Amino acid sequence: MNDADIQADATDRMLLERMAAGDRAALGVMYRGYHGRLCRFLSRLTRRPDVIEEVINDCFWITWQKAGTFHGDSRVSTWIMGIAYRCGLKALRQHGDEPVDEDTVPQERLPSHDPGDDRELRDWLGKGLEKLSVDQRVVIELVYGVGHSLDDVAVIMQCPVGTVKARLFHARVKLRNVLPSLAGEPARLKEGAP
Amino acid sequence: MTFTMDTNRDCARAWEAMPSVLQESASPEQNVWLMDHLAHCESCSADYAQQERLRLALSLPADIPVDPAVGLKRLLARLDVPLPKPVVQRARNGWLTRALAAAVLLQALAIGALGAKYWSDNTNPAYRTLSQTSAPVPTGALHVVPDASMSLADWNALLHSLNLQVVGGPNDVGAYTVVPSGSSTAGSPVLQKLRATRGIRLAEPVASAP
Repeated sequence: MNDADIQADATDRMLLERMAAGDRAALGVMYRGYHGRLCRFLSRLTRRPDVIEEVINDCFWITWQKAGTFHGDSRVSTWIMGIAYRCGLKALRQHGDEPVDEDTVPQERLPSHDPGDDRELRDWLGKGLEKLSVDQRVVIELVYGVGHSLDDVAVIMQCPVGTVKARLFHARVKLRNVLPSLAGEPARLKEGAP
Repeated sequence: MTFTMDTNRDCARAWEAMPSVLQESASPEQNVWLMDHLAHCESCSADYAQQERLRLALSLPADIPVDPAVGLKRLLARLDVPLPKPVVQRARNGWLTRALAAAVLLQALAIGALGAKYWSDNTNPAYRTLSQTSAPVPTGALHVVPDASMSLADWNALLHSLNLQVVGGPNDVGAYTVVPSGSSTAGSPVLQKLRATRGIRLAEPVASAP
């Protein structure tokens, strides 16, 4: 954990204490601070914006209710991501693979056009992620996207570190085999790694 | 051959080290070692480039815009909704407790009724325990054992002559319990006459129970 992480965690703890005392302004600060990373994390589980918003609100509703019971066994961000993960899995069970009804998505919520490079990168990533299981996508996002350590991911997913390592390993091998390489070569098809 | 094995081992180590190096959480030594390996391993270099690109792609903001202001407004409105009280659970618990209490009460009443019934029926039980006192023996009772060769007519005549009547027996050893009939008493003369009578093997007064 670097200095920036330590500083961020200290701020989160202060906000959590204020939330435990009923300070809604602190809740607002924390909500906005986590919204971006939670959106991206949950977009690996579902493509429905209404479900993503529902899960984020469920997560912060629980955070608000339980703020006083946080014992500091982990970083606040690890705790919140764990809550979001469990809420996300619950939402997946409830909504399953319901298709997105584009008519129900407000116009202002439709994705804006990315610059060309970003779009290409997203398409490239999308092709790889769609080959992974939900747990493998979550591990890849938490390690590469959010930057959590394997120990943190184990806390978030409530499983042994060895399980996290195995999921990460298989996800990386699968991505290496299905994603086209930078030079435009066909994907390699080695199963054993490295 | 050795070169190949070492290379494979180094490639495996490089594969293992890539996530922490990309996360910038690896030690400086690990960092330097990986960069050195990548410099002369084309395969691992390609893997690392793909992992870098993967990390870059994963760090892009979500492509599904969800307005935080709208979401927060809904969340704050939700906080104002009072928490539902677990009325149903409480009611179910209350019903269960009442049902159990009623069942216990019913069982207690049934046991009480059965007890009362047996209490009233058992005033004269059909058995006697060893702790109970023996059946009362009439005053002046005698145990008399007639000989097996004595005829019934002689036995009846003897009882008649001595004003005796049989009230019990014969028991396992052939003894009869006899008592004086009417107002007469079976005193010592009666006992002497019985003992002197031919065909009477034993005549003894009944001892009172201890």
